[in-house]
Amino acid sequence: MRLDLTHIQRWIEPGSRVLDLGCGNGEFLELLRDARQVRGTGLEIDERNITEAIYRGLNIVEQDMDQGLSNFPDQSFDTVVMAHALQAVHYPDRVLEEMLRIGRECIVTFPNFGQWRCRLHLGTRGRMPVSKFMPYHWYDTPNIHFCTVKDFEALCQERNIRILARDVVGNGKTRPLLASAWPNLFATTAIYRITR
Amino acid sequence: MLACGRELAGYDLVYETYGELNAGRSNAVLVCHALSGHHHAAGYHSEGDRKPGWWDECIGPGKPIDTERFFVVSLNNLGGCHGSTGPSSINAGTGKPWGPDFPPLRVRDWVHSQARLADRLGIDCWAAVIGGSLGGMQAMRWALEYPERVKHCVVIAAAMKLSAQNLAFNEVARQAILSDPDFAGGHYMEKEIIPARGLSLARMVGHITYLSDHAMASKFGRDLRSGTLEQGAEDLAEFQVQSYLRYQGSQFSSSFDANTYILMTRALDYFDLAREYDNDPVLAFRHSRCSFLVLSFSTDWRFSPQRSREIVDALIAADRPVTYAEIQADEGHDAFLLPIPRYLEVFSAYMRRVGEDR
Repeated sequence: MRLDLTHIQRWIEPGSRVLDLGCGNGEFLELLRDARQVRGTGLEIDERNITEAIYRGLNIVEQDMDQGLSNFPDQSFDTVVMAHALQAVHYPDRVLEEMLRIGRECIVTFPNFGQWRCRLHLGTRGRMPVSKFMPYHWYDTPNIHFCTVKDFEALCQERNIRILARDVVGNGKTRPLLASAWPNLFATTAIYRITR
Repeated sequence: MLACGRELAGYDLVYETYGELNAGRSNAVLVCHALSGHHHAAGYHSEGDRKPGWWDECIGPGKPIDTERFFVVSLNNLGGCHGSTGPSSINAGTGKPWGPDFPPLRVRDWVHSQARLADRLGIDCWAAVIGGSLGGMQAMRWALEYPERVKHCVVIAAAMKLSAQNLAFNEVARQAILSDPDFAGGHYMEKEIIPARGLSLARMVGHITYLSDHAMASKFGRDLRSGTLEQGAEDLAEFQVQSYLRYQGSQFSSSFDANTYILMTRALDYFDLAREYDNDPVLAFRHSRCSFLVLSFSTDWRFSPQRSREIVDALIAADRPVTYAEIQADEGHDAFLLPIPRYLEVFSAYMRRVGEDR
């Protein structure tokens, strides 16, 4: 399981109601269900992922976040999670607003484009970074709204979004001290727990 | 006691079952049929049969409704014309066919009669109640009327109520039958005639709504069956689609009862899931206790994906477990009867969950 997902588990109340936006094959919702008795719903658009998630016995709704989330009532979930999808939606700010409307709390994770490798790649080669972590070219990438840790926090401040906690994933298996100390430079993935 | 306030002294329901009921009686699945369906949903009755049951693509060993795993019950609904008591049955009170005097039925009447069938079969709780189109409406009604007797509800290509356009098409179909002189006010059986033209026309109209524009284009296009459109030729040209529709109509008119068709289309018209719940589907679904699978097909314009999403949205707002997929398919409403790979895959995946009782 991706490190950001194992990290955010502890922020989810046992037995709570969770909406997972872009839930993939449902691996995370399954973990939450089995380990924390969470009542989860996942949103996904990839056909293969949907079938796999149904096999896991999860409740999956085929719905495109970019078409809106207005069908979800205000404050109808305890937590709304969006892991590694913020950079792939058309209007990240609108999706964030919707998440905060639907959930009491939200958890967002995204790849940090301010990480030093990206900067180095762009700075020295003058080309958009392509790595194992972000294996797409600029023209075929689903990631259309990259941002940095600082960018995200600026948006939160501008929109009066309260950051309850920040966590980071750096290079390597354990969380490196560097990423905690200078997240914008060393975090590969940023993890935020937010509310309004 | 029926929804219309009248009573039926007694009635027969004809049904088929596939697979074995397990010792715990926990693997029973009810299949509800659509407008023109019946009890023969899967397999062949004899080697001479030209076609298998109407939902053979989905019911059988290794198929989504896996008969190795489930005990499947499929009946002909009350009011039908394939063996269950209906307008073409003899009214014991008069010794004549019921005809147009058969009590009008609602979807809830079917559900209640199906519940009595379940009692007879010793099934306290269905592992799943499943239906497409009008069958999906019965499945939803089950979830509200007998919440403790349904674990999973599978609603395919359905809607919570008909749109004005749906009502309009049904009215054209009924008028076609009613205006056929051979309908004789519904008493055609006593005169030993059938309103074949009216019934055939009704089916032709209905059939158009089951297919998508795309399906018709790819199946028939503007191909001619006979005649020519060349200049200088006077004889009439006939398109393939014309002859196809006429064939469908005439096949149907020889196998279906006109009064039943009128009864079934009215039941469809009158169905409104949330009517008794303040017209609030969220309030309605709060009465359910089961998990739902909702499926729609991209080119279905009879009950479009939007109708299914309304069901899903109400379930979400009612905090009920729901899984939804919109299947890309060119075949329109009819797609729910066809072996579309992703449809079968999603359906199978969900039914496996039903079997594992999660």
